[in-house]
Amino acid sequence: MLIAAILFMVVLGTVIFNFMSPWTFLELGSNWALIDFTVLVTFVICGVAFVILGLYMVWWVYKYRYVPGRLAEYEPENPKLEARLTIITTIGVVVMLAPGLVAWDQYVRVPPDATELEVNSEQWKWSYRLPGEDGIFGFAHNKYITFENPMGIKDGDPYAEDDIIITSQTVKIPIDRKVKVLLRSKDVLHDFWVPEIRAKMDSVPGMVTYFWFQPTLLGEFDVLCAELCGRGHHTMRGEMHVVSLDEYETWLGAQLTWAEMKAGAVPLSPQALQGRSIAESNGCFACHSLDGSRMVGPTWTNLWGSTVQMEDGTSLVVDEEYVRESIAEPDVKIREGYGPEMVAAELTDEEVAAVIDFLKSQVQEESSEQVESVE
Amino acid sequence: MATAEIPYQETVPLHHPKTWLGKYVFSQDHKVIAVQYGITAMAVGLVALVLSWLMRIQIAFPGFLEGFGADEYLSSITMHGMIMVIYLLTAFLLGAFGNFCVPLMCGARDMVFPFVNMLSYWVYLISVLVLLVVYPLMLFTDIQATGAGWTLYPPQTITAGTPGADWGIVLMLASLAIFIVAFTMGGLNYITTILQARTRGMTLMRMPLTVWGIFIATFLGLIAFPALFVSAVMMLLDRLIGTSFFMPAIVSLGQKLEYSGGQPLLFQHLFWFFGHPEVYIVALPAFGVVSDLISVHARKNIFGYRMMVWAIVAIGILSLIVWAHHMYVAGMHPAFGFFFATTTLIIAVPTAIKVYNWTLTLWRANIKLTVPMLFALSFVLTFIMGGITGLFLGNVIIDIPLSDTYFVVAHFHMVMGVSPILAIFGGIYHWYPKLTGRMLNDTVGKIHFYFTFVGTYVIYFPMHYLGFVGVPRRYYETALGGHFPDWYPVSAHHLNIFITIAALIVGAAQMLFIYNLVHSYFKGKKASDNPWGANSLEWRTPQTPPSHGNWDERLPTVHRWAYDFGVPGHDTDHIPQDVPRKESA
Amino acid sequence: MTDATAPSTTESILTSTARDWSSDVTTFKGVPWGKAMMWIFLVSDTFIFTCFLVSYMTVRMTVTDPWPNPSEVFALAIPNELFGWQFLESPIPVPLLLIAIMTFVLISSSGTMAMAVNMGYQRNKKGVVLLMSATALLGFTFVAMQGYEWSKLIFEEEVAPWNNPMGAAQFGSFFFMVTGFHGLHVSAGVIYLAIIAYRVGRGHYDKTNFEIVEITGLYWHFVDLVWVFIFALFYLW
Repeated sequence: MLIAAILFMVVLGTVIFNFMSPWTFLELGSNWALIDFTVLVTFVICGVAFVILGLYMVWWVYKYRYVPGRLAEYEPENPKLEARLTIITTIGVVVMLAPGLVAWDQYVRVPPDATELEVNSEQWKWSYRLPGEDGIFGFAHNKYITFENPMGIKDGDPYAEDDIIITSQTVKIPIDRKVKVLLRSKDVLHDFWVPEIRAKMDSVPGMVTYFWFQPTLLGEFDVLCAELCGRGHHTMRGEMHVVSLDEYETWLGAQLTWAEMKAGAVPLSPQALQGRSIAESNGCFACHSLDGSRMVGPTWTNLWGSTVQMEDGTSLVVDEEYVRESIAEPDVKIREGYGPEMVAAELTDEEVAAVIDFLKSQVQEESSEQVESVE
Repeated sequence: MATAEIPYQETVPLHHPKTWLGKYVFSQDHKVIAVQYGITAMAVGLVALVLSWLMRIQIAFPGFLEGFGADEYLSSITMHGMIMVIYLLTAFLLGAFGNFCVPLMCGARDMVFPFVNMLSYWVYLISVLVLLVVYPLMLFTDIQATGAGWTLYPPQTITAGTPGADWGIVLMLASLAIFIVAFTMGGLNYITTILQARTRGMTLMRMPLTVWGIFIATFLGLIAFPALFVSAVMMLLDRLIGTSFFMPAIVSLGQKLEYSGGQPLLFQHLFWFFGHPEVYIVALPAFGVVSDLISVHARKNIFGYRMMVWAIVAIGILSLIVWAHHMYVAGMHPAFGFFFATTTLIIAVPTAIKVYNWTLTLWRANIKLTVPMLFALSFVLTFIMGGITGLFLGNVIIDIPLSDTYFVVAHFHMVMGVSPILAIFGGIYHWYPKLTGRMLNDTVGKIHFYFTFVGTYVIYFPMHYLGFVGVPRRYYETALGGHFPDWYPVSAHHLNIFITIAALIVGAAQMLFIYNLVHSYFKGKKASDNPWGANSLEWRTPQTPPSHGNWDERLPTVHRWAYDFGVPGHDTDHIPQDVPRKESA
Repeated sequence: MTDATAPSTTESILTSTARDWSSDVTTFKGVPWGKAMMWIFLVSDTFIFTCFLVSYMTVRMTVTDPWPNPSEVFALAIPNELFGWQFLESPIPVPLLLIAIMTFVLISSSGTMAMAVNMGYQRNKKGVVLLMSATALLGFTFVAMQGYEWSKLIFEEEVAPWNNPMGAAQFGSFFFMVTGFHGLHVSAGVIYLAIIAYRVGRGHYDKTNFEIVEITGLYWHFVDLVWVFIFALFYLW
């Protein structure tokens, strides 16, 4: 009879765990209360069905255990009972489905007063674009992407000039204002997700996908990538700050428009420029940021000449020897707090020298360009 | 009923090999092929089990494993998933159980084309070798196993940011294509045997539910695998010669790629047109096996046989029109959400009926708590849990917050990982005596059972709650730079450590099972012809284990369904299918 | 097929189907195993081509780059001279000429195959061998012409699976993939036909009802039928 006891413990344990569990949805930070309601309805119906079925099983396994010589009841079928059970199940399904479909209808119907926010995703970072004063995004396509034009904005599109470009991983949005999130991807599938908001959607290269929400909770929330996007997937985290309207306006005023960004680009020496394009085509910027933020690997801002802590407790100054070694054999010296993720790049001596020139250019000058600092 | 004719299959000449090689290696006997499939599937399953250990250790104790970086983690999740779904579950349920059960339960001498059936196994073996050759290659070359996730979503699969995007993925796709060839050869045999080579008196509505499950599952496979085949071919072309089927214009890690105009979503549609029926390719045979186990060991007829058959058929048909419920957040047209949520929840009705009927079979039964029965009971409870969490995810709006979290991981492990595995274990404990002529050790079997059932339940049930918290799946590390983010409380990490320890124990407990299989083969108690007192034809063979050709000169004649247990006015509690009906009854 | 258990004509199809499905031993009465297996295989194969063609249609409908006009791309000029004999002022380009001939050849091969099956019913071995060989020959001609069409596309129009100077790269990708896959089916069918014809000639099937001819025919008709869809979707759209 051990099995009856174990089955009973499992059913009981399931129920107890459910009510005792400290792990549940994070506090709702948006208008999507209907999602939580649908989850609750489903929880109740499914939970009741689970408990009833489980307990019947336990009871019957116990009650009708084997007695030699006894015959089981011979009842091949019972159409009435089967019909009843089918109807009850169907009703349960309809009750669960109905609020779900209503909520989905709201989810895909964006209210006309929603403001637009474009989220750009790439391996493995986020960036954002706002349509600016005219309320219209300039046309953008992956084929226009260059280093200076990371979002692929079409050259000469008049709507693009006032678009606000946010290359930082952090975006701020004002509370209670409906937001339509437009998602684009530079390379592979990503998924913009803030657990507190509940909503999410994949970004697909070659397409613009969308969802909408209305933030109702002030706070700083993590943005997670919820679609596997390669080896840095788990590090692809941004932040979304839901702030008061005043704070938002202040923040917005400090952001650069596309026109300002084009005009304000800091010119680089030819060697540094060459170093940058070498670094870019070797995929360095997927893991090393140029704005001081932490990604898979350490940032390159102010890296050159600085003293860094190593995993084994030693420290060293970033010099040519160290950079050369780190490019050729990245696993030999690991920075404190980072993993052995880097893939070695095969560069010639001249190429490394160019990259070092670029590293040198990333000392101090950057700070004036990057108005927004993380935290 | 036309039973007068002598079936062609009674006189069909069988290939009787003289050499040892022909008898045990290149055998055309369906039972030997079943064993070959079973052993290969279990062996490759052990590889996947070890991979799951590595991943769990990384999740609970990040950095503990030297050299197990994000690349290795991602290739482990990919290989684990693909092996478990295709090379273990599909191969075992259809390759091993399908081969063993179909001819025996239908009363046939063998599959209709034994040579093709043999080829099916050898091609399957090749696909397994092509899949696993990546591990020796990893040791000696730069080639890595693909880390694209078992869903292989482009563009990520073949771009530089993913481990194994150069050659690992090519091996994976080639292996899948070869597997599909193998499956097709086997599947054509199963279906033709079931449709055209049953014995006298064996009507479709007298077939045991195991055969029904295998029948519909195979049919689904023949319809669904082509979609995987086509997507594998197209992706191989994208990868190898630079076509742009699935690849739009992208800038990958700073490099503009030559692709343009392709559709990543097209791949997802093709993949899930295969992928969702695949769930039922695995589940339906498990349903069938469990139905038979419950009926035999509860000494009672399966409740509502006809309803069970029609539920299998209905699930099979519906499973072809629910695929996009895997893509609610993929960015497809929103209108699809309404359609696929509705069809998905409709499929819950026939599935629920099956659960009710299993439970109702227990009512006023005479339940023998043998090891196969324990597995069958645990299957039902696990399947209920997996099924109701499916109602969460099938409902489009609930899927929005839960997709790509550990809720999904927990759900599909419950419903199509653990449940079919429990059914497979139950089936092995049930049919082992017929296959080998010896019983498996009961005590070891019970210990194995409790570890497996309780262990898997405590692994996967709490995991759902990690999903509610919002822990995303496929994260190499949830904490970044050594500190936990706000949404991932320390208590959740402790839960992860608990799950890892449970997973290590459950995995180790499987060694008991392997020990039992091997030990009992040589030292086990001798089995009688029909140790469980079952009714279906495989227990009525003149020899145990059945000889090549299964029956004597004359094939058995079937007079009743397979579930005549506890028939009133009868002196035994069961009447095998080939016992004639009394005129007086 | 005639059979002792074949339903009488007074029975409705529904009743006889229900009876067949609820009977023992076989579901399809009088159908040999090989034929049943071929039918099921063709169902599976249908899904392969369906997936290819549906993928093609979705991409074709959504791709933004221009799609080449098939009646220009696949035009073939009637030459104005042959072996030095000039009979026309200048070459006349005819849209889809080659494809029309190819389709005609393939459909004709279906006709000879049907005749071969008929000969099989009559146990006329010589007729079977002759007509199956003719079918194989027509099939081979089809593949050869397809080879010519491919080379014309590759070398004259410079279309490659990954490249298309006239617009969307997917045009070349899908065209070569789908016609290539179909061409593989035809080639396999030609080999299959040749083997079976040879074995029929050698008296390999004398003890049977020559079902094998019918089974081969099923496959061949299927390949032809698929061509009709490919023809309509690639050349007429």
